[in-house]
Amino acid sequence: MGAEHPLVRKDYEKLAELYNYISMCTHCSNCKYLYEYGAKENFAAIGCPQGDKFKLDSYFGSRAKSSLARGLLKDKLQFTDSVMHAVFTCTTCGACQQMCETDFKPAIMRTIEALRAEAWRFGKVPEAIKRWSNHIKVERNPYMEKHSDRLNWLPNSVKESLPKKATYVYFVGCTASYRQKQIALATVNIFKALGVDFTVAQDEWCCGSPLFRTGQWELAKEFAEHNATLLDRYGAEGFITSCAGCYKALKKDYQEGLPEGYKDKLGINFEAKVLHSTQVIAEMIRKGEVEFKGKFEKVVTYHDPCHLGRHCEVYEDPREVLKAIPGLKFVEMPRNRKFSFCCGAGGGVRAAFPEYSLETAAKRVAEAEETGAEILTSTCPFCYRNLSDAITLAGSKMKMMDVTEILSEVLKK
Amino acid sequence: MGGNDRILKQLQEIVGPEYATNDEALMYPYSYDLTWNDPHMPDYVVLPKTVEQIQRILRLANKERIPVVPYVTGTNIGGLCIPEEGGILMDLKRMDQILEINTEVGYAVIEPGVSHAKFSAALKKHGYEFGWGVHPASASVLAMAINHGIGHLNGRFGINSQMISSMEVVLPTGEVAKIGSCAYSNSWHSLYPLPMLAGLFIGWLGTTGIVTKLGVWISKIRPYKDVLTIAAESAEDITKYMVAWRDLELCDEVTAVSWWLAQVPIPYPYKEKPADAPEWFSYTVISGWSEEELAYKRKMWKEVVERERAKGVKLIDYEYPPEAKRGRTELPSRIVGSTKNYSKACGGGLAWPGTFTPCKSWPIIYNKWKEIYIRHNLSPAVRFTDFRGSHYGMLRLMTPFDKRDPKAVENARKAMKECVEVGVPLGLLPYKPPVEYWNIMNKYADPGWIMLLTKIKDCLDPNHIMNPGKLGVR
Ligand SMILES: Cc1cc2nc3c(=O)[nH]c(=O)nc-3n(C[C@H](O)[C@H](O)[C@H](O)COP(=O)(O)OP(=O)(O)OC[C@H]3O[C@@H](n4cnc5c(N)ncnc54)[C@H](O)[C@@H]3O)c2cc1C
Ligand code: SF4
Ligand code: SF4
Repeated sequence: MGAEHPLVRKDYEKLAELYNYISMCTHCSNCKYLYEYGAKENFAAIGCPQGDKFKLDSYFGSRAKSSLARGLLKDKLQFTDSVMHAVFTCTTCGACQQMCETDFKPAIMRTIEALRAEAWRFGKVPEAIKRWSNHIKVERNPYMEKHSDRLNWLPNSVKESLPKKATYVYFVGCTASYRQKQIALATVNIFKALGVDFTVAQDEWCCGSPLFRTGQWELAKEFAEHNATLLDRYGAEGFITSCAGCYKALKKDYQEGLPEGYKDKLGINFEAKVLHSTQVIAEMIRKGEVEFKGKFEKVVTYHDPCHLGRHCEVYEDPREVLKAIPGLKFVEMPRNRKFSFCCGAGGGVRAAFPEYSLETAAKRVAEAEETGAEILTSTCPFCYRNLSDAITLAGSKMKMMDVTEILSEVLKK
Repeated sequence: MGGNDRILKQLQEIVGPEYATNDEALMYPYSYDLTWNDPHMPDYVVLPKTVEQIQRILRLANKERIPVVPYVTGTNIGGLCIPEEGGILMDLKRMDQILEINTEVGYAVIEPGVSHAKFSAALKKHGYEFGWGVHPASASVLAMAINHGIGHLNGRFGINSQMISSMEVVLPTGEVAKIGSCAYSNSWHSLYPLPMLAGLFIGWLGTTGIVTKLGVWISKIRPYKDVLTIAAESAEDITKYMVAWRDLELCDEVTAVSWWLAQVPIPYPYKEKPADAPEWFSYTVISGWSEEELAYKRKMWKEVVERERAKGVKLIDYEYPPEAKRGRTELPSRIVGSTKNYSKACGGGLAWPGTFTPCKSWPIIYNKWKEIYIRHNLSPAVRFTDFRGSHYGMLRLMTPFDKRDPKAVENARKAMKECVEVGVPLGLLPYKPPVEYWNIMNKYADPGWIMLLTKIKDCLDPNHIMNPGKLGVR
């Protein structure tokens, strides 16, 4: 691979492994703008939250990332604080990847992670990321919380009723376990009401998503290996997640074959069904197994989480669920599905650059407000957090609700 | 670090601290482009938002004798924004407003940072369009138009610089001037009947000033469209057909591509064409206000084909695949507006020799280019397009190459320069030319032309700060 090439600095091992992919970037700038022809209207919008904020080409899209990688590999650049800033202010949202059409495309997200992997060697990692990375090794969550408190959200009555064996393990994730507990609660209540055969694991660890996204693959492997054992322990055939980040980690990072020429990131042998809670519910709605007991007479718009949408192409299930809810009026934001705009939290950005992160979320909230919706909904507790914080900060009238929260209102007797 | 902190501080005072830098890591992406042109770092990158900020930057640059390179997206495929002599790279992407869409008179006014994506979306809401090229949709409409860009309406209106109706420009020395009707009223409808001062800033590759606003004619979208296709064995035959058809002035565009350009992506290195495949494929886009109008144009096109056949021109019936047809009518397009068609997987390099050439020279030059390219193990992926005007147009050889290998880069550079060398005496005029093409062109140039070019450049830019080196003179 690229490492043999005379122009390549070999000590950047993770980047050098990707050199042949990185070299396919033509520097064409397609990734700087989201665009698609339409018979009636053309779609055009800025997609890169990083470029939108910092404007310089060194921040804009995957072009900037391949360029930084090239600069480092060719020894034109040193890993300075500016490189660190340009590398870690990317939310890993994947909007750039949507537009790229060259053979760099499949390796774009991995290149961003590889740049971060190299950053660790030079200590060029934002302090906040270092802090939670130290914590996660011990307490298995990035929220500075105790592992022993992970299930505190779960009422005893429900806990006691959970089976020892089940078809699915509900993988709660750190954000819903420690911060957006109401989403976890709404999810188990819905599953119970709908008769989903599930249980909650006693010893779930962080899915590793924050580690993957910040280039800490070796550490992430430990988490993947642990979580992979949960299915056997509960005789389950798959995971159901509430979180878009967990979904991508379990479904793609743990198990998906990587583009040709890559070394497998994890080298673990894991194969399992992974579903998002809205996929389970959408399937039951399609089969006529969901009986609504009430109405939700509000105008609602949906934010596609990048890790569920663009990265895993789950666009329609959450929409199907919302559209099936009696009384709910659904409206789309201009930037939706593959052309969605990031909430600003991903890729370690919320912890490391909170102001910029919230500024991005505020742009998204403003877009949601323009639709006339009263409720902004999503399918990711992490997006929920950032968007609801931006709503509060802006003093917006809009209300943030997870899809499961809306559902639990209409499934109540 | 690049430039010094004293200048940086002054730039930051003008545009705000976050919009000026001399940090090498942050400037690195501006040091190279798609092509084989040698990279060079700027000393500063600055992102102004207003005309007044541009004026102040240019005054500072004059005082300090610092080069200034205008830049929007850097997709020009000519190394035109590589800061040959360092200096201030002026990234204009923050000036991205569509200031007016006037459907009553039929023009729009845009800032430099307006992308094709944004402009096309805004115009379409009014039922209008402009000449869209086949470049990334992020590229600047203004930068394309002022450098004689080629859009999809070239058969109907000519090239995009012919659709410029007014402009505002900041001179290298910092003064602002309006040109055309906007100099007399707030209407941006026409450059005529005034002296053509716009010519001082069109085709100059950012070497004579910064165009800050551009008025362009816009055109109503015709609801009916079709793509008619035909193939031929030889460049001579396809050219004869194209000239006969464009003569009738019924098409929006007529283009032919060689077998190598019809492949996605272009074969790299050279691959032999299968013996049974035609060497040339042509498409023409027709449009109209009704099905009847389209039917009439189809009828006329068939007559031309039959007439040419009767004269002995060998034309082969051929149908375009549906995706390719869509790519020609759904513009700007992700289908054709992407480097995947040219350099998807060969190592990042993309450049071209070409372009404005009298049609009678196309086959002669093509045959010479083919020999040169095969010798360099590169695919002769050539395009002909006959623009409205006289019978002249695009003769362009899109060339992917492997940037990982310095020998491959050198090989591509040599082949392309050889192509320019054989083309210029036969009427080829490279557009958006890299400096190395200018050096070849200027060998053949009329001395009076070079003298005039130099005089005007000296007059507008006495300290030679604007994009120095890019004209091959000064
Ligand atoms: C795959 C591909 C296909 C292409 N196909 C076409 C095509 O079909 N037709 C076509 O015309 N082009 C084509 N191009 C070339 C290019 O994309 C267009 O010309 C484009 O519009 C240039 O815009 P830009 O923002 O990249 O300009 P830049 O590259 O940033 O600038 C181009 C030139 O304009 C100067 N400049 C920029 N802004 C100003 C200003 N405000 N005032 C004065 N000078 C300025 C710069 O200094 C430079 O010399 C293609 C490019 C690619 C990569
Ligand atoms: S992943 Fe998102 S934030 Fe990062 S460069 Fe791509 S578009 Fe920008
Ligand atoms: S990442 Fe893809 S779209 Fe962006 S500049 Fe590179 S090749 Fe073009």
